[in-house]
Amino acid sequence: MDALSAPFPVRHRKLSLDIQGNKTDIVICSYDDHFLVIATQIGSMGTTLHARKEEGVSIHPTFSVSVIFGKRDEPVLVACARQLIEHISNCGSSRPLVLSLGLKDHSVGTLRGVVTAVIVNRLW
Amino acid sequence: MAQGSLDSNGDITCPTSTDGESSASHVNAGLDRLRINAADENDDDGAVQITCFSDLSDDLTLHFQIIRLHKQIYAWIGCNSAKFGHLYAAAPTRPNNMVSVTSLLGGASDNTGSGIARRIVLKTGLNVVLACNIPKDSPMLEAAAEKKLVRKLIDLGYT
Repeated sequence: MDALSAPFPVRHRKLSLDIQGNKTDIVICSYDDHFLVIATQIGSMGTTLHARKEEGVSIHPTFSVSVIFGKRDEPVLVACARQLIEHISNCGSSRPLVLSLGLKDHSVGTLRGVVTAVIVNRLW
Repeated sequence: MAQGSLDSNGDITCPTSTDGESSASHVNAGLDRLRINAADENDDDGAVQITCFSDLSDDLTLHFQIIRLHKQIYAWIGCNSAKFGHLYAAAPTRPNNMVSVTSLLGGASDNTGSGIARRIVLKTGLNVVLACNIPKDSPMLEAAAEKKLVRKLIDLGYT
């Protein structure tokens, strides 16, 4: 199978849904060494976070979440990344997550909506 | 779904539906299932459009993924692999619309992707986030990848 007839190496999934009255476009991509999730209500990627599982010897994994671009004072965004990286880890993958959230409101309801939609359509 | 059967002539018959609409809805449901299952490399429905393509040259395969949002473009360039690579953001900024680039992931020691991101913004004026795993110190490969990506962006309507 030559390179041009092989399937594209990055799988992706795209969906659009309404979360708390705001139309939200979600894209989930699976790379070899990362997952990328984009959830936007504003037409751009918004705040970008990086979440990863820490190397460690204890039974319970720890996670590190940091904002790499955008709002650094919104705990809801960090919580969203934290929930998703934990879910990724519980499903058996140690790949880190790059999460972009361009949300119109930063309420807990929106967070829940985004996390649920991503988990239902996950690629891990 | 109504089951068919063979009549005395050996022809397949289906019991006629008393409700004309439900047989049309069966057909439509079937068509919808086909559409949902069809894999599409150019995913065009809705506000977010995803374009994926690959290019083989000189024994190297370059993979490109472009995700178009209303006000921004995300692009990924993969060289022979599907590793995410380094992540950069670039945009025209005040004053004079000069281009600013920043490295988001991967550190600043390897600037391959940042040059590509900067030149895409210079040529197209778009707000761009670029992930790129092209190895450093390969200027020819970098130039080839950039040329293909820019050509595709022009084909998609960005100038």
